[in-house]
Amino acid sequence: MGKGAREATARERIAQLRHADRKKDRNRRLATMVTIGTIAVLAIGGGAWYAAARDTAEKQTAAAQLAPTTVNADGSVTMAQAGVTKPVLDVYEDFQCPACKALEESSGPTIKNLAAEGKAKVVFHPITIFSMEPTKSNSVRAGAAARCITDGAQWPPFHDKLFAEQPSETVEGFPLTDLVAWGKEAGVTAPDWEKCVTSQKFAQTQLTQSDKIIRTEKIDGTPALKLNGKDVDSDVAFVPAKLRQAVLAAGK
Amino acid sequence: MAVPWVTTVARLVLAGVLIVAGWLKVGAPALSVQAVRAYELLPDRIATAVGYGLPVLEIVVGVLLVLGLLTRLSAVGAGLLMVAFVIGIASAWARGLRIDCGCFGGGGPLAEGQEPSYFWELLRDFGLVVLAGWIAWFTPGRFALDTPLGLTPRPYADEEAGDHEPGASDHQEEVKENH
Repeated sequence: MGKGAREATARERIAQLRHADRKKDRNRRLATMVTIGTIAVLAIGGGAWYAAARDTAEKQTAAAQLAPTTVNADGSVTMAQAGVTKPVLDVYEDFQCPACKALEESSGPTIKNLAAEGKAKVVFHPITIFSMEPTKSNSVRAGAAARCITDGAQWPPFHDKLFAEQPSETVEGFPLTDLVAWGKEAGVTAPDWEKCVTSQKFAQTQLTQSDKIIRTEKIDGTPALKLNGKDVDSDVAFVPAKLRQAVLAAGK
Repeated sequence: MAVPWVTTVARLVLAGVLIVAGWLKVGAPALSVQAVRAYELLPDRIATAVGYGLPVLEIVVGVLLVLGLLTRLSAVGAGLLMVAFVIGIASAWARGLRIDCGCFGGGGPLAEGQEPSYFWELLRDFGLVVLAGWIAWFTPGRFALDTPLGLTPRPYADEEAGDHEPGASDHQEEVKENH
């Protein structure tokens, strides 16, 4: 074999080795990437699943077993077993506020259950937080209608119905005719119910009371939960299990 | 060369925003779901899934960017997220939606007549898209795990110092020794 031929074979061998090396390198790189990618995807999926699982709302006690509910003179509503005076859980919410609806869907049943179990005295404060249209008028219509209810037993189902039927923030909603019908569905039998709602008897009261509460209780936004007068963080308020834990701890 | 360092800084900035944004939301999943729903862009079921998944996705992509793992892919992912946010915010703005975490009234950050800061949010997210683009282009920057793992498409020139095919030259010597 001549020198030239030998060099040619050597070059071929180099090329072959180089090719094999590249291939090996590529495979190794691909394996690493797939591994990291898989771990990342699993972490995302697992995290999302955990968030969803942790977020499961409690089952609400049957309506018949809810704690006795009384409508107070200022329009706030107390839900507590007889003799339970603490801890006090104040719930400030606006019927038009989507975040309040989110609170109702996640922690709503927990709040009612805690009252039913005698673990807390719950006080609902339906306020109007909005200052722009159409949300302001929507909120006032619903809030004023809720103030027409005097029988505490009828209040919780009406409250739940309002959140279930919450309109979008961009449209006019909570029409008076619907409000009248929903009240009847919730069991309101008072003869002046329809007139009280359609004349918006308590619209001004809703506004002045809201204004007073927002100022004196320093409410920045809704929903706001206060446990024994102290603000509850949203990563507790919106996580049913954590809220329960916080209320039980406050009751000790 | 300054470019790899700029990439590193861009990675840290983008990752910081993602991790903080994800962390703030991950504590209250119900609120995160509601925030996604508030845009009224996705069907309810998908909005719920996005609400639960988005915070975790943001944190994981953020961590990958900090570590410099799968840098290009993470940057593209982060960029696509930002583009999605830009679309969401722009459409909310155009439709006159007032979106914020929680509902604020007269006493809150959104006083009467005050608009949500959509413009600044858009500007911020657009800036982050640019950062993501930079990272994807000049990947992966200094202090990236991609480099020791050999996951970079082409190592930086100053690290290689003229030797582009280390494997090949080794073989050349090996072959030469044979004769």
